[in-house]
Amino acid sequence: MAELSVIGKSVNKLEAVAKATGKLKYCSEEGIGVPGMLCGKVVFSPHAHARILSIDTSKARAVKGVKAVLTGKDTPDNRSGVLIDDRHILCHETARFVGDAVAVVAADTVEAAQEAADLVKVEYEVLPAIFDVEEAMKPDCPVIVHPELPNYRRTIYEYMGHDLPGPNVHTHHKVRRGNIDKGFDEADFIIENRFQSDKITHCQLEPYNSVCYPESDGSFTLWTSARIFETLHPLLSAFNLPENKLRVRAGYLGGMFGLLARPERFTLLIAMKTGKPVKMVYSREECFVDGFNRLPKIIYLKDGIKKDGTFTAREIKVIVNTGAYTNHAPLTIRNGAFHASQYRLPNYKWDAYGVYTNEHCVGPLRGFGSAEVLWATEQQMDIIAGKLGMDAVDFRMLNTPDENESDVRGQKIHCTGAKECLKKVADWIEWDKPSVQPAEKHIKIAKGIAVGNKYSLIDTASSSWVKVFLDGTGLIEAYHGGDDCGQGLNTVVAQVVAEEFRTTTDKVRIIWGDSHRVPYDFGTASSRSTIYIGNATMLACRDAKKQIFERAADKLGTTPDKLDIKDGTIYVIDDPKKTMDITELALKNHPEARGSIKLATCLEDSAGIIGSATFWGHPSTEDPETGQGERLAISYAYGAQAVEVAVDTETGDAKVLRIYTAFDNGKTINPQMCVAQMEGGAIMGLGSALYEGYILNDDGRLMNPNFHDYKIPSIGDVPHNKDMKIELVEIPHREGPYGAKGVSEAAMCPTAPAIANAIYNAIGVRMPRIPMTPERVFKALKTNKGESK
Amino acid sequence: MKKLIQLNVNGMEEEVYIEPWWTLGHVLREQLGLTGTKISCGTGDCGACTVLINGKAVKSCIYPAAKAIGKKIITIEGLTGQDGSLHPIQQAFVDCFAVQCGYCTSGMVMATKALLDENPHPSEDEVKEYLRGNLCRCTGYTKIVEAVLTAAEKM
Repeated sequence: MAELSVIGKSVNKLEAVAKATGKLKYCSEEGIGVPGMLCGKVVFSPHAHARILSIDTSKARAVKGVKAVLTGKDTPDNRSGVLIDDRHILCHETARFVGDAVAVVAADTVEAAQEAADLVKVEYEVLPAIFDVEEAMKPDCPVIVHPELPNYRRTIYEYMGHDLPGPNVHTHHKVRRGNIDKGFDEADFIIENRFQSDKITHCQLEPYNSVCYPESDGSFTLWTSARIFETLHPLLSAFNLPENKLRVRAGYLGGMFGLLARPERFTLLIAMKTGKPVKMVYSREECFVDGFNRLPKIIYLKDGIKKDGTFTAREIKVIVNTGAYTNHAPLTIRNGAFHASQYRLPNYKWDAYGVYTNEHCVGPLRGFGSAEVLWATEQQMDIIAGKLGMDAVDFRMLNTPDENESDVRGQKIHCTGAKECLKKVADWIEWDKPSVQPAEKHIKIAKGIAVGNKYSLIDTASSSWVKVFLDGTGLIEAYHGGDDCGQGLNTVVAQVVAEEFRTTTDKVRIIWGDSHRVPYDFGTASSRSTIYIGNATMLACRDAKKQIFERAADKLGTTPDKLDIKDGTIYVIDDPKKTMDITELALKNHPEARGSIKLATCLEDSAGIIGSATFWGHPSTEDPETGQGERLAISYAYGAQAVEVAVDTETGDAKVLRIYTAFDNGKTINPQMCVAQMEGGAIMGLGSALYEGYILNDDGRLMNPNFHDYKIPSIGDVPHNKDMKIELVEIPHREGPYGAKGVSEAAMCPTAPAIANAIYNAIGVRMPRIPMTPERVFKALKTNKGESK
Repeated sequence: MKKLIQLNVNGMEEEVYIEPWWTLGHVLREQLGLTGTKISCGTGDCGACTVLINGKAVKSCIYPAAKAIGKKIITIEGLTGQDGSLHPIQQAFVDCFAVQCGYCTSGMVMATKALLDENPHPSEDEVKEYLRGNLCRCTGYTKIVEAVLTAAEKM
């Protein structure tokens, strides 16, 4: 490959100006001003667990402007889900959490819809509810959230439905390597701890919203603020619809971080039942209540260590409170096991359980099961180093595997960059020097460090398909099925096209966000877009160029292999004065051909040129009993963060002063966009470490469903710009386009444990639970001991 | 019962029928089609809906539309030149990669306008203090701070 001219450059986002001027239309702008547009409102269950005895909709229907009041009886008796089909569109007989959708109302105005929703009279028989996940997991738990679980359809990874220890346990994922008992026998000492993470949520700024239009041919066009294909498939199975009847569209998303479609099931239902267009925009409270959240975990971690600092064994049990419905939970649970690829663990045992409770739902969130496990294991690394009297960085370096070593899953380690990243942040923060203490005696400052990884699990079991098309005006169109949530996917695709055609991104038009127009893709998930869609784009461009050169060769009196293209001009490599503009390939640019059959047949139409390519990861299967597989993931990001934290011992308040981040992204396609992802990830990690968590009362009602009680980091909570350093380490990925891979999720994975380690180094107290709120830190300080040994 | 009111938005007198409880943010978006103003939290916590009223940054999602009668309202649409040219603040947000998903951007830009009108050369700490009420989930704020300081230099 010649020197790269667009890849590696900070090209601005294609849509940056449209966003900065407020002109860009999101899903939330769809349908404004459309006559006859209905508004929808949901009736949520006020009980965590209740049988629905009757629903009286008469008063609601009598409200002026109400067009429909729909309950479970109006929906197919058809459960759907992502891995386990466990949820109806609206509750049928049972409500399983405070916020389970019982009915939905459609009216001319949002005021009428809300008034009617408040008048839907539901008679409940309140049932005992279960919130404590360790109680819920027991074989004799008196509350069973889904008595029908044994009959539920599992779409993939059925083996995770075996060896379930109790009636509320829906998932059991296992990894086995070596001989765990022998490993512990060989240890010089054993360290056991329990860690816990609370439930956090995406807090994307565009609230969940959706618009659905009935079309004249009996089909439906549905606009979503989530990912198109991830929205499409669950709706098809929930409504028993053929794919040609439902077209899902999206524009740029106002943030994502893993979120899934929420009101889409209701807008589609209302449009089907009323034949009218409908729009629903969730309030922020509804976003919290009916959202999907990061899986709260309880982690029991037991490590066997030799005096020389090497591991002999690790045993880890993870109990995941997945709330009332599973969504992606089994996959997310499974992904957590990749934490163990980070270090040499000769004997390893992992058991992760997904457990139903009567809490709010969980789903994918940036880090996809990895961040919460690393929260435990990266604190444990510091605890062990402390026992050994070893430096925390040296201890990690000693145990980090090298290229071509096998990890605990049986995969060979390639191109991780972990050591380079760790060294970089340790040098930057001057790890060997203690922090300078302030004059105020009650403020203690210290540094902390952690390594993180994120494996793109989904990507190996998915493919991307991209088409490239010359539009005849000189633009090159690229059609892809991914999703742009501000991370810059469209810009990355445009950069790849521009690179392959040796032109600039303003000559590229991206077509995306329309399930009936773009080639199928698994979608933007699991940091897979750069490697999957990037590769498919690169290959599709090469396919298109081959066709272009074949057609141009005759006209330029040479053979296709002698041609190249730059700035829209095809030229003969050895005789660059012989050229042809790509627009000349388009029949529409030759009006003289009209009426001249001879001339017309001489010309080829560029519409006939469609470059097309798919990229597929060729995964291996996983052994159900041991979790072993030689190729479970083809892409993974490794990196490290070093932080400095000031703890106020009088209030328990922890303030992060510096965050230094280094991640291996293979090859940087767009440095500024990459740095922006690293910065955003670190601060989302900071929020998860210090502030964010669902607070439920004893009845399972969410007590902080808004931005003043559920605090996300503000501009005042983050370090000064000079104290937010980012290093993009580039160890070319063997299978990435130009060596690139995705890193956006990984960026938040080491942050919380690095902060926890800094807090310990500052005040000598371990914080085994996130978020580490001032209250929790203060209490831990007063008792002068964390909950961990 | 809807009432006819007159609002001065981006220098234009606009007549709209409103319900008395409608917020300014709702009226701007749904009645006047000025959808650059975003509604994200609806409780005045996130600042995505920030507009200027008589030069002050105001959260339009909790500001009654009727209260804006007789006042000068400027939205993100009013910041861009007639010819589409970007205001220096908008340009700085683009140049500094301070725009990610973009949903907070209009509010951030408007709050920055109010800040720089009050204090043309703020320190980094003054920027952080002023913009505390404008949340962004994507950027980690580093590039937003850079954009504000860059805009201040250029204006």
